[in-house]
Amino acid sequence: MTEQFSYSADREPASAAQVRALEALLIEKGVITDTTVDKVLGYFESEMTPLNGQKIVARAWVDPEFAQLLAKDTPAAIAQLDLPEGMAGAEGEHIAAVLNEPGVHNVVICTLCSCFPWPVLGLPPYWYKDPVFRSRAAREPRVVLSELGVPLADDTEIRVWDSSGHSRWFVVPERPAGTEGWTEEQLAGLVTTESMIGVALANQPSAA
Amino acid sequence: MKLQHNLGGLEGLDSAPLDFEKRVFVQDWEKRIFGIHAAMMALSESLRGALPGYDMDAVPTAFKTIWTWADLRKGAEAMNPFAYFQFRYYEKWLGGITAYFVEKGYLTQAELDAATERYRESPGTALPSSHNEAIDQQVIRYLREGDSPRRGPATPSFAIGDRVVVGNPPTGEHTRLPGYLRGHTGVVQRVFEGNYTYLCSTGTDGLGEPMPVYIVRFEPAEIWGDVAEPNAGPLYAELYQTYLSAHTPKDGDK
Repeated sequence: MTEQFSYSADREPASAAQVRALEALLIEKGVITDTTVDKVLGYFESEMTPLNGQKIVARAWVDPEFAQLLAKDTPAAIAQLDLPEGMAGAEGEHIAAVLNEPGVHNVVICTLCSCFPWPVLGLPPYWYKDPVFRSRAAREPRVVLSELGVPLADDTEIRVWDSSGHSRWFVVPERPAGTEGWTEEQLAGLVTTESMIGVALANQPSAA
Repeated sequence: MKLQHNLGGLEGLDSAPLDFEKRVFVQDWEKRIFGIHAAMMALSESLRGALPGYDMDAVPTAFKTIWTWADLRKGAEAMNPFAYFQFRYYEKWLGGITAYFVEKGYLTQAELDAATERYRESPGTALPSSHNEAIDQQVIRYLREGDSPRRGPATPSFAIGDRVVVGNPPTGEHTRLPGYLRGHTGVVQRVFEGNYTYLCSTGTDGLGEPMPVYIVRFEPAEIWGDVAEPNAGPLYAELYQTYLSAHTPKDGDK
């Protein structure tokens, strides 16, 4: 990259001090408390994590009726599972699942910014917010997926979903072969965040 | 329209490597600005009209103004478009949120500079202490119950299968219309149940009042022309009704 985009060595300590100063002043002024930020972070570290998405996908793999409902009315399907309270909370008010099937592969992007289904997948990883990914995945998803090592047949239809409205989308990847008789818990272990955005397939049993 | 609105399909990036960084935060400090932003959304005056019926009068916070995603985006969309790409995701948040608190008079730049200097010199200095369960309870309640924009029954002007043309309204401070779709024609794939409001009025851009939302299917060749990917599948976007008008067939159209 050019000089214009280089980071000064000072950049991180300067930001760290600034955010600390901001948090301290907001506490002093009574905007938040000294535990507010920790509680927010704890909520996302312990309850709203990709584990929720993994459980939803695993259930869809073993229960065709659930999978059908998940495609048709995602919040109603999610409400059937024993997941943390708040699955329809912040950035989950209108969750929508799209299901991969033989010959169809879905990819979720947000070209405007970073819309992401927090309760199902937790907070978005950096790659999802990367301007190069957001730009390229809209127009050349097949090349992008190939660069990321996703083995798709040439005749597989790639459907791209740009999260520009109120819905927060996630992908239900296809169940890997060789997992017959697996428990939901075992199956959930094959499901990655990347596979639930569509930039990866679910892990193969051998790689689990 | 600004460059920030038009990232989708930008040409010339074909050889640009993807930064497949899987972490959510790459620096510890980024967690703190995320937490501050989430708390601001949870304490925002705009929640007085929210469907969960939050009792904002019972929350003893000094925060008395509106902060939503739209405010965060207004900051990012107001940036010099080249500067936008010089900063990491949470660096933009830190800049935008800090500027907001100074602009709204919650703190002065001088206070902030002095405090920043203190934490530069002694990064380990503890935060001030203050306990107030009611503030934290509202923050967690907001995270669990959210702020659904759904309002009233759907009043759609278009039906599944209708061909629609995407408008090109002035963007103003903030828009939810991806730039690369402007002027293009798609087919309504789904009409959502209910109407949907937005976090704020976007002025000439058109959002704010409850309105129908659609999933519109676009064919890549129609959007990108010759630079569409060969053998490309459909692209779906979720679009508010204000951005759409009926497609008028012309002679020669299929």
